[in-house]
Amino acid sequence: MTSFLKKHGIWMLTLLVALLAFPPQWYPDPVRVKLTEWFGAASFRPLPASTAAQSIEPESFCPPDPSGWRDEQKIEGVQISASAPCVADNPYAVAAFVKGTNNVSEDTLLKSGLTADAVVKGRDLDGDGDPDEIHIRLEVAELNGGSSITREPVTSFDIAPGVSPGMWVFAPKFVGMAVENFESNVARYSLRLPSPAIRIEQGDQVYVTLENSHYMPHTLHLHGADHGFTDVSGEGNDGVPLTSEMPVLPGDARTYELTPRQSGTMYYHCHVQPHVHVQMGLQGLFIIEENRPNNTLQTMNIGAGLVRAPSVASVESYDREYDLHYLDLDKELSERIQKYNDPRLITQSMHRDYDITDASVDFFTLNGRSFPYTFRESLLVGAENERIKLRVVNGGSKGIALHTHGHKYTVTHRDGVPLPEAVQVPQDVVWLATSQRVDLSLELTNDGLRAYGPGIWLFHDHQNQGVTTDGIGPGGNISAIVYEEYLQDSGWPNTRGVSMDKYFTDAYYRREVPVWEDYAPGLFSQAGNDPVMFVRVILLALSLGILAALLLTALMRRRA
Amino acid sequence: MFLRLALLVFLPAAVAAQQMDHSEHEMTVGTTGVVMNENRDTLPRGCTEVSRDHSFTIYAGREYADQQHGMMFGMSEHEVQVEPCSRVEITFVNEDGIRHQWMVHGLPKYLYPAGMFHIEAMGEQTQKGVFIVPPEDKTYLIHCDMAQHMEKGMRGQLVVGKGSGDLWSVPGISDDYYRFPYLSARSAYVAVFLALAGFLATFWLAGKRK
Repeated sequence: MTSFLKKHGIWMLTLLVALLAFPPQWYPDPVRVKLTEWFGAASFRPLPASTAAQSIEPESFCPPDPSGWRDEQKIEGVQISASAPCVADNPYAVAAFVKGTNNVSEDTLLKSGLTADAVVKGRDLDGDGDPDEIHIRLEVAELNGGSSITREPVTSFDIAPGVSPGMWVFAPKFVGMAVENFESNVARYSLRLPSPAIRIEQGDQVYVTLENSHYMPHTLHLHGADHGFTDVSGEGNDGVPLTSEMPVLPGDARTYELTPRQSGTMYYHCHVQPHVHVQMGLQGLFIIEENRPNNTLQTMNIGAGLVRAPSVASVESYDREYDLHYLDLDKELSERIQKYNDPRLITQSMHRDYDITDASVDFFTLNGRSFPYTFRESLLVGAENERIKLRVVNGGSKGIALHTHGHKYTVTHRDGVPLPEAVQVPQDVVWLATSQRVDLSLELTNDGLRAYGPGIWLFHDHQNQGVTTDGIGPGGNISAIVYEEYLQDSGWPNTRGVSMDKYFTDAYYRREVPVWEDYAPGLFSQAGNDPVMFVRVILLALSLGILAALLLTALMRRRA
Repeated sequence: MFLRLALLVFLPAAVAAQQMDHSEHEMTVGTTGVVMNENRDTLPRGCTEVSRDHSFTIYAGREYADQQHGMMFGMSEHEVQVEPCSRVEITFVNEDGIRHQWMVHGLPKYLYPAGMFHIEAMGEQTQKGVFIVPPEDKTYLIHCDMAQHMEKGMRGQLVVGKGSGDLWSVPGISDDYYRFPYLSARSAYVAVFLALAGFLATFWLAGKRK
């Protein structure tokens, strides 16, 4: 007996442990039915308790505005309207864009941060009181890029809390560092998604110099804007390497020319490997305003959004004008610039390894940000009975179904061309194909058709993925039409819904926060783990391992 | 060394308001470029006199990346060696058609706002600037702060006296801290094959010995 136990005791004991540890809910159904016939249901064992709620430490919703950039002001004789949301453009840059960086005082130029040649305005060629010779300079910047000394994204720009996909943008020409200050890695406000909206006047003689400060070749293609295939000197002017010119190599500069005969909301983008470069953010609104007397334009609108010094034609018909740039981003493409530092490896990864035909997009931005940051800077603020003009481009790779709550707007222009009155009907979903532009007229007239009255009315892409950030909602391009009386002094809307604290944390977009936990703690919290099940699984795994080893030794011994 | 460097360059965004951009600096802005925090006369603490005058001409541009594989921009000198308490004149010649910068970080803040001395030259322009270095042996970071220019080659070091050790990732001076392995996909198969071959050979030999 003892010798039998000595020989077989260990494996029999281990097998017994394995059988006892095996969770009864994993038994085959016939066995469970039979057991139930004999003993009835197993006795009650409470489901695991919820785990304790994480403490939520949100970022500040509304950054302070110590220099009063949001206020209505007059700089160098340029009237700059108030910008109601939390984050506003630097008014000195707005003034310099209007007057020309060659025509403002040194003080204004310093406060704007721009170089003296960023936007040079020359003669009034048609004698109607505004300059018609315009020379614009654009640089190219990489945001959230890679490095050989840190794993953190370099020159960082968060589209949402903790979300920093790599991207490329055209940028106005500023003096100095690419970051806020020496102790920061955050991109300066001039370096951001989207590339700036550019505004010129019909008939202007416009020169756009691309100063390629990036490590890849790029060009400028003026999509939809009237320009010659060649410039006056016979050089290619369409920005297309295939048909028009050698791209601008890193460190080089090239000037494009146009004198557009037609007005309208157009588009500019890089045309080098465009399936990648356009998707990475090298694109912006290119707006040609109707020629009017004394029509001195705000040549650039950094980050798009509210036009603080609108054109004569805009002021004639509208109370406010907003530039809206929609763009989606593919995480699997964006992260490639963060993985490598060697430009040869980045080029291979983006232009040979990446296959856009297998790709899907993950991030959805409005004016470079996703919710909740859209609520900081991209709210459409208005007052009852106002008429608001929206110039919209869909720069993304998928269509967008632009939907308003509480309003119906009208498409007045498509791809920069006015539509006949007969088809200008109110809509609450407007479809924009890739690279399509629409001009929308939004009337805050409370008649039950155009508007339903004051409030905070959501404004978003109604395709379901568009309201998420990598599949986490709320995120994506959600913004809102907010009536002034619903806005706090800080610019944050007086919402009446749920707390937005958790949306202002990285953890939420890392999928770590239960979406409804704060509504009813316990009911919707994170389910805890089952310790009994854990012990069973551990014992089962251990005993199966021991059994396997015993079996193997027995077999080897038998062979020997 | 790396830690110090990381602290210097990548301290996460302090609360620093965007709006305060560069306001505390002494700036000379011209059409050819910018010099920030120039200092010809004020001695750093611990210096009794200007020990000597150095003068360097630094050329910058894509052409200077050619000397280094895997770079896109560069400088003719990635290391500048000076004596403690010396006065350093930098002539920065930008040969590209875009902006470039030559920027020193970590200088004493009582003398150089934000601890920096900065020269910026517009495309195809030359810009000159002068500053006086402190008495301590120390290695300072030099770089171009245009987005990605430091990462793609415009990174250097200013060595005062004996310096305090090389910084990482200075082209021609020091290795990359995160260095890509540069191996083909095939080398993975070769490695697996060799591991297997080594195992089988040893197993066979060990069995034979028995």
